[in-house]
Amino acid sequence: MQRPEDSLTTPLTSTSQFIQADDDDDLDEEAIPGFAHPTIGSDTPQSAVFDKGKGRATEQLATPTSAAGPARTPTLSGNIGSMPSGVPSSARRTIGGVQVENRFTGVDTLDEPITTTIGRDLLSIYTKLVQVLYPPKGGASREVLRDWDLWGPFVLCLLLGILLSLKAPASQSLGIFTSVVAIISLGSLVVTIQAKLLGGRVSFFQGLCVFGYCVAPLNVAAFVSTFVHLIYVRVPIALAAWAWCVWGKILRTFPAVNFLDGTRIEQQRILLAVYPLLLFYFILAWMIIIQ
Amino acid sequence: MAYVSIEADERLEEGPEGLQFQSFLDSDNRSSEPGVGNVGSRGYIPDRPGKTSFWQVEHYQPYFDIDTLTVLRRCYSTLIPSKSSYLATHLTPADLYGPFWTLTTLIFSLFVFSSLASSISVYLSDPDAASPTDPLEYNFGLLSIAVGLVYSYGLAVPILLWLGLRYLGVGEWSVVETVALWGYGQFVWIPVSLLCVIPFSAARWTFVGIGFALSGFFLVFNIYPVLATADQKAVRLIAILLVLLHAAIALCFKVLFFSYYPTKGDKSG
Repeated sequence: MQRPEDSLTTPLTSTSQFIQADDDDDLDEEAIPGFAHPTIGSDTPQSAVFDKGKGRATEQLATPTSAAGPARTPTLSGNIGSMPSGVPSSARRTIGGVQVENRFTGVDTLDEPITTTIGRDLLSIYTKLVQVLYPPKGGASREVLRDWDLWGPFVLCLLLGILLSLKAPASQSLGIFTSVVAIISLGSLVVTIQAKLLGGRVSFFQGLCVFGYCVAPLNVAAFVSTFVHLIYVRVPIALAAWAWCVWGKILRTFPAVNFLDGTRIEQQRILLAVYPLLLFYFILAWMIIIQ
Repeated sequence: MAYVSIEADERLEEGPEGLQFQSFLDSDNRSSEPGVGNVGSRGYIPDRPGKTSFWQVEHYQPYFDIDTLTVLRRCYSTLIPSKSSYLATHLTPADLYGPFWTLTTLIFSLFVFSSLASSISVYLSDPDAASPTDPLEYNFGLLSIAVGLVYSYGLAVPILLWLGLRYLGVGEWSVVETVALWGYGQFVWIPVSLLCVIPFSAARWTFVGIGFALSGFFLVFNIYPVLATADQKAVRLIAILLVLLHAAIALCFKVLFFSYYPTKGDKSG
């Protein structure tokens, strides 16, 4: 009979690639940065440790705690109960004189419930929204927006279109909705492309993501002015939201202004790169004012 | 193990003419592409690849290699009628940033100031009825009209003109220069659209007239020398065509975007 660990480990074929493991054996695997969301990582460190792939699961069979037999092994449930995390070196083997190891590179998302998947995405959108709406909080962890998605911008864009077309006359509401969606999508495309044309080193989708998320303050302004019709209230709110948007976007896209040489856009060209942002956010703010 | 004897390369021992030190400092500056002038020497894009394909973003980077002060100077110098050719004095090399954002700004400023003018005129016609809680009146279709009008006039007309002149074999300019000239030439409409908020018919007509005169003079003065290089005299008639087209676009701006006037007692006006 074949041993269970042989049937479960990935077979080593001639096409397997080996990466030489680090020599430092005191490496703490908890400290290896994964690509998981930070809040999820802190919420569920247990599952992150235990879902280390099939390789880790079989290694546990050799430990004395679960030596009672294969009937007690909880591998079938997909949730290995109480494995101590103090066996980091068990993931390492020596194959052909080269020490290799199975390294944890992310949360195993294959066999999790779909609610967890959706919940993680929603949480990620929420975290980015908070970062955008309150930039000082995001000052330290600006990296969160680096993990881009386009769902948040899409939702924000539709929301702004709906908010603006709600109060419009019936003959114009469809046109307003179309225009808002078109302005945001084409505008983010144009702004990102021209940031690249000016020689900025921004990732394309990251630029789209940041542009879309920075519309969020305008959503707040549109929401407020759906209920408040006083022009004296509306204009300051929309202008404040405009400044808020631009500030948040600049803070994230052009840290070169103050901090580090992020996008590599020179000082003489910062205004050229920022001007389209001012233009697009201003036209959206203006549509909120005259809503 | 067998060794195969190969003949040694003896040129190394021949003396200094085989291997020489060479300065590559000057050749870097001279390696800029001929079509876009001295772009390479400005050095905003340090490691631009030499040859890029038409579909890559890097292919267009030379046309956006410009700084803020240059764009501003190119914009306001279209307002000042001068005897020197704009192509020779300012568009060296031509860029595409200015034309594109000039046209886009023009679209947005037409829409913004037109809706502002309309709400002001509504307020002036009936200050009592138009309380601050009323939503401002505006016509949203104007935005799409402005997009179509401005982009078709600002981008399609110069490209068609360039193609036509190319077909006739006239003109030593590139399509980028044509588009840049045309785009910067429309800059005057941005302050004009701001001034047209003033709700008096005479003032608006005056401002539109001034805008038409300035940009028309600018375009004709810079395009006529190109047309005059043609062998056929009939090609110069294109200038008249362009002036007529320009007058039509000026009239369109005035009638479509700034025809709101305060009317006493008649809210439909």
